[in-house]
Amino acid sequence: MLKPFHPLTFWALFTALAVGVIASGNALCAIAVIGGSAFIVFRRREEGPWRDSFKWSLIAGALLISIRAITGILIGVPRIGRTLFTLPRITLPTWLPGIRVGGDVTWERLSSSLHEGLMIATVIALFGAANSVTSPHKLLRVMPSKVYQLAVTLTIATSVFPQLISSIHRIRQAQLLRSGKKPRIATIAIPLLEESLERAVHLAESMEARGFGQSKRQSRYRPIHYSLNDLTVITGGISLAIAMVVL
Amino acid sequence: MITFSRVSLIYPHSTTTVIEDLSFEIVEGEMVLVMGHTGSGKSSLLRLINGLVPHHTGGILGGEIIVDGKSTRTTKPGELAGIVGIVGQNPLDTFVADTVEEELAFGMESLNFPHDVMRKRVEEALDQVGLTSHRNRTIATLSGGEQQRLAIASALVMHPKVLVLDEPTSALDPVASEEILAILHRLVHDLSVTVVLAEHRLERVIGYVDRILLIEGNGSTSIGSPAEILKKTDLVPPIVRLTRALSLDEVGTSTREVRRLTENLRNELPESTRPLFTPGETLLALEKVSLTYGSNIALDEVSVEIKTGEITALMGRNGAGKSSLIKCAVGILKPVTGSVTILGEDIATLSPQRRSQIIGYIPQEPGDLLYLTTVQEECNRADRDNLVPSGTTLALLHSTLPTIAATNHPRDLSEGERLALVLAIVLSGSPKILILDEPTRGLDYEAKNRLMRELHLRAREYGIAILMATHDVEIVAEVADRTIFLADGEKVADGSTLDVLLASPAFAPQVAKVMSPRPWLTVADVLRSQESSR
Repeated sequence: MLKPFHPLTFWALFTALAVGVIASGNALCAIAVIGGSAFIVFRRREEGPWRDSFKWSLIAGALLISIRAITGILIGVPRIGRTLFTLPRITLPTWLPGIRVGGDVTWERLSSSLHEGLMIATVIALFGAANSVTSPHKLLRVMPSKVYQLAVTLTIATSVFPQLISSIHRIRQAQLLRSGKKPRIATIAIPLLEESLERAVHLAESMEARGFGQSKRQSRYRPIHYSLNDLTVITGGISLAIAMVVL
Repeated sequence: MITFSRVSLIYPHSTTTVIEDLSFEIVEGEMVLVMGHTGSGKSSLLRLINGLVPHHTGGILGGEIIVDGKSTRTTKPGELAGIVGIVGQNPLDTFVADTVEEELAFGMESLNFPHDVMRKRVEEALDQVGLTSHRNRTIATLSGGEQQRLAIASALVMHPKVLVLDEPTSALDPVASEEILAILHRLVHDLSVTVVLAEHRLERVIGYVDRILLIEGNGSTSIGSPAEILKKTDLVPPIVRLTRALSLDEVGTSTREVRRLTENLRNELPESTRPLFTPGETLLALEKVSLTYGSNIALDEVSVEIKTGEITALMGRNGAGKSSLIKCAVGILKPVTGSVTILGEDIATLSPQRRSQIIGYIPQEPGDLLYLTTVQEECNRADRDNLVPSGTTLALLHSTLPTIAATNHPRDLSEGERLALVLAIVLSGSPKILILDEPTRGLDYEAKNRLMRELHLRAREYGIAILMATHDVEIVAEVADRTIFLADGEKVADGSTLDVLLASPAFAPQVAKVMSPRPWLTVADVLRSQESSR
């Protein structure tokens, strides 16, 4: 087993990298950072429902880049440069000056749209990466005591949510076998809602019965301390970010 | 330790009392079983003990409940956390943390226990339930039995004087449930913890409990020794049915006791074995089916044939691959290698409509299939889906359960009623194959008998092939013709129920334990032999 890091370490690392990428605005840096985080996620992702966050954030990022590229091509302020191809242009009323729909698509337009898309996608991917390598339960446990109540509320949400997804699948399959027809959303929602409510009530009862909220202060069974490793990772992240901006 | 004086309970927006004028006293170090039909208020009674009812659920409480000198009327459940530990029906629903140790520490962290105390108590609790080697495991990766043990341990870390458990073994295989009961037995005898538990499968717990609290359908309650209480109720385990059928004077509650009472009988009765059933053609065939989840092998080249008119039981420990096999058989999961054929056709080539006409499937949670607001509507919907004359499904339902009201909301039905409804919905389409996943969970003996009668009727009269995955050895002994045993994804036994159940001591039904070495599994088997001697 790999030595555990402080739950905040990777959040700090990925936040530093995100800031670095945005500040430098360099596409090559962004791609290198995504590649690097993919490696970290591959090595260190945790078992749990959140382990695939990085994968989903990459998919969301790709989707975002393509949407940004398409809207960038279609709508926007004209930009002078090398024309790649020309789209039929829609004439807008005169009270909308300076905006055009369709028309010439230049290389500069396309690349700047893609560039913007890539920047946003990188931030999303880094957020997903941080989620993949750090269990939300662990993260919530290192939060200061003041927000502990909030933390435990979130614990309920994060533990009920993944179970929801497997329940949806189970109910859908069972209903498909009942009638042979694809079940509608409403027919799945009713048993699902019933089950999730029951679960949430059980969890709340269990917390109440175990004395949660009885004491103003809570002690910690396994206090988590910063170690030299955490410091190295965070310093490394920040120096990388600075390097990206300066160079 | 626990005193109920003239306790009555009524839930808001309800016209009937759940509990009426109930008085009893439980002393320290006693193990008490709460029994009654499903929906008789057992869970409410258990949760009254630590005040979750009515503090958490609402409702009006009459009378007084005193636990360790504190009245639950004025004390909140949280303040009783150090006195009463409660373990719910589904442990997985009640876990708060990711790993075993964090889960154990949760209650103590909430009460701001000093660190050294926490360390010591976590160690103790891990030892008490035998989870020491699992301390760093992620909870989701534990087996059903281990999760139940963890739930008990996380109550024990608070050093409670009273431990309350709601159906602690209902989801467990016979071996895992023996382990849980052994732990409870040790707590009662070594640490004088008072244990109150509810359970439907009396055959599993009856040998351990000191007294029984019986809640009857009409709301009246009585408390007494197992022998006293079992004399006056219909909800009795097979061992008591045996002593009744043989007209013995005493009501034996342990195997040892009844073996002593029946020693002569065992030696004198003539040889007789249950008649073997000859099934018809093969309807469903799984051939060398293998299935993997990641690197885990769930099924390893398992071959199973389900035949006309035959009831086949699928048994094995939690996680042995029963559910995976069922899911392959109904086509929810596609095996990695091997084939599943229904009436000679590959299941993958069948359209969903055709598949649902041939196979009736009752999932582990029958409620998954229900989404309308009344029983009547559900039945009408099933008539339309299955293309049968209107009223067929309701008639079918009333033939098994005449008392059910068509205007009821499916959610308000008891487990037994809900299963009967789902069974009627599925059977009104006259499927050729019926597949059930763990159908007896949460059923009382009455509902279980109803299920057994229906299965037997469908198999023999209508020639349906039935496959049923279950932990319940008693229902297997009663209705199954053939039993398949899975272990770690492999088929380890496949033969007549008699041979398979007698070969495995842990999975032997109560009557077989009493009558060993004679080959009788049920009361009917013993009576058949007695009959032939006359």
